[in-house]
Amino acid sequence: MEALLNVENLKTYFNTYHGQVKAVDGVSLYVNRKEIIGLVGESGCGKSVSMLSVMQLIPTPPGEIVDGKVIFDGNDLLKYEAKGDIMSSIRGGEIAMIFQEPMTSLNPVLTICRQITEMLEWHLGMDAQAARARAIELLKLVGIPEAENRIDAYPHQFSGGMRQRVMIAMAISCNPKILIADEPTTAVDVTTQAQILELMKEMLERFNTSLIIVTHNMGVVARYAERIYVMYAGRIVESGLADDIFDNPRHPYTIGLIDCVPQLGETRITRKLVPIPGLPPNLINMPPTCAFLPRCAYQTEKCRTGPWPPLRPVGDQHYISCYIDTREKK
Amino acid sequence: MADSSKSGAQLNDAIGLDVPLKKYSEFRRTVSVFFGRPLPVVGLVIITIFIIITIFGPWMAPYDPIIDMDVMNSLAHPSSEHLLGTDELGRDTLSRLIYGARTSLFIGIVVIGVSTAIGVFLGLVAANSTGALHHIIMRITDGLMAFPAIILALLIAGLLGGGLQNIIIALTVGMVAPVVRITCGMALSVKENEYVTAARAMGAGNLNIMLSEILPNCFAPILVMMTMGIGSTILAEAGLSFLGVGITPPTPVWGRMVNDGYKYLLTNPELSFAPGLAVMLVVFGFNMMGDGLRDALDPRLRGVV
Repeated sequence: MEALLNVENLKTYFNTYHGQVKAVDGVSLYVNRKEIIGLVGESGCGKSVSMLSVMQLIPTPPGEIVDGKVIFDGNDLLKYEAKGDIMSSIRGGEIAMIFQEPMTSLNPVLTICRQITEMLEWHLGMDAQAARARAIELLKLVGIPEAENRIDAYPHQFSGGMRQRVMIAMAISCNPKILIADEPTTAVDVTTQAQILELMKEMLERFNTSLIIVTHNMGVVARYAERIYVMYAGRIVESGLADDIFDNPRHPYTIGLIDCVPQLGETRITRKLVPIPGLPPNLINMPPTCAFLPRCAYQTEKCRTGPWPPLRPVGDQHYISCYIDTREKK
Repeated sequence: MADSSKSGAQLNDAIGLDVPLKKYSEFRRTVSVFFGRPLPVVGLVIITIFIIITIFGPWMAPYDPIIDMDVMNSLAHPSSEHLLGTDELGRDTLSRLIYGARTSLFIGIVVIGVSTAIGVFLGLVAANSTGALHHIIMRITDGLMAFPAIILALLIAGLLGGGLQNIIIALTVGMVAPVVRITCGMALSVKENEYVTAARAMGAGNLNIMLSEILPNCFAPILVMMTMGIGSTILAEAGLSFLGVGITPPTPVWGRMVNDGYKYLLTNPELSFAPGLAVMLVVFGFNMMGDGLRDALDPRLRGVV
């Protein structure tokens, strides 16, 4: 079966005064129908930029999508003009996106009602009354009590968790095929986080939507994602089925990421948390070698001289971008 | 899900609302906030009175402002016959003040209305375009702002000649540049907000972004500029009249009355003070009303209604 979304060799660069930042440097990934995938990595590794590139929401200038294809439903989205009508109808209608900060993602001067109905009017051509009824229905669906009364409130009258629910209601309002959630739970507390994620999962099942969760939280992807992509310095360094990656991580960076997640029942005596030493690299003027090299505990001579290793298969649907077989080494 | 089992009231507490929200229309919310505060209402009352005077002036004025020249009684002090006295030609000051309201308010409102409309439009276009168009609009604006508004108006009025229409054009050109500048600046900063990107991600087109995301969020400073502008426009017209390019003399205008009266400031202060006070009241009224409107229209400033 052909993938619903197929990103091929996507490259997004930013031109700054200090040089060219290769924020996304050859990312390839695919999403099947009704699939939940996780895109994991540290801050600044290019997760959000790659997703914004898919939506063509990169501010240009300074950003520029220099290469790649984003095949959605058989069409290359990058061929359409970023601000054109076709992209506008795809955004929100076919691919919707939820942002990190629910506090700032809603327009403060419009009522919740207006913000949801606007979308319904753009994408589905509903009239005001039908859109309002649908908006109330959607708010009920995402668990906002007294939706009939609450709908005329403004965003500042809602709490963070409530706003994120509103964002979800907006995102699913036009029944998109893919939902991209860019760190959807970073700005809310842990209890709300679980509720929001459960809600998203429920909505996906209901509307047959695929989900891309962009996060730095391994716990979130472990629980929800079926497949995982691990990003580092603008590239995918490991990809595979979620269970595979957690049980059998192969890239030194993924191993490091999993080692620094505390596990239930652990004490300081049974296992120390191991942080990854060093900092993520500056994306300006990257060396030709593997970007993880300075922080890697497994490095060999080949790593220091060779170019960035290409992705190679190490198992069923499991790929890593590393020269070393970490299993042998350990 | 945990929430759905909770009652609405509990959730009201949870999200910090102690009053249950009732469904209010946008209009009723705005009106109830506006009338809930004393100063905006005072402003509105003042403006209403002036507008009534403007409309019913001919029936209210005791004398004709131009032809009723009581020359024998010129420069008379206030009396029961002439409530605010007479000017050097024996014309009744009160009548001139009442008729003057028509011209002055008309100039003020039209100039501000037109210049704000043009300025906001150009400002939004400039903020939403990159490259040539942005620079053309903003550099012309900078050029216009390099001249003091009065010089610019003088130049245009000088070229076009006097008369109501030309004065309005001259003053409008002078008022547009600051509006463009402020709108563009505000729009550029509002544009960086995440909700604009979010709206784009939800499929908003350029026009939608401009009109429903950016414009409403730029509204507060524009509204303040408008209310301040009405007063300064009335005064600028006075300046133009003083320099001889404004409204042609017999027509009563407040600005000109202030200027004409200053020669008799020591003997007949009411000649200047009366129109001056009228200008002050109008400006005060518009400012108060503008502040009230800003608060009433901005959902963040009006609290839970």
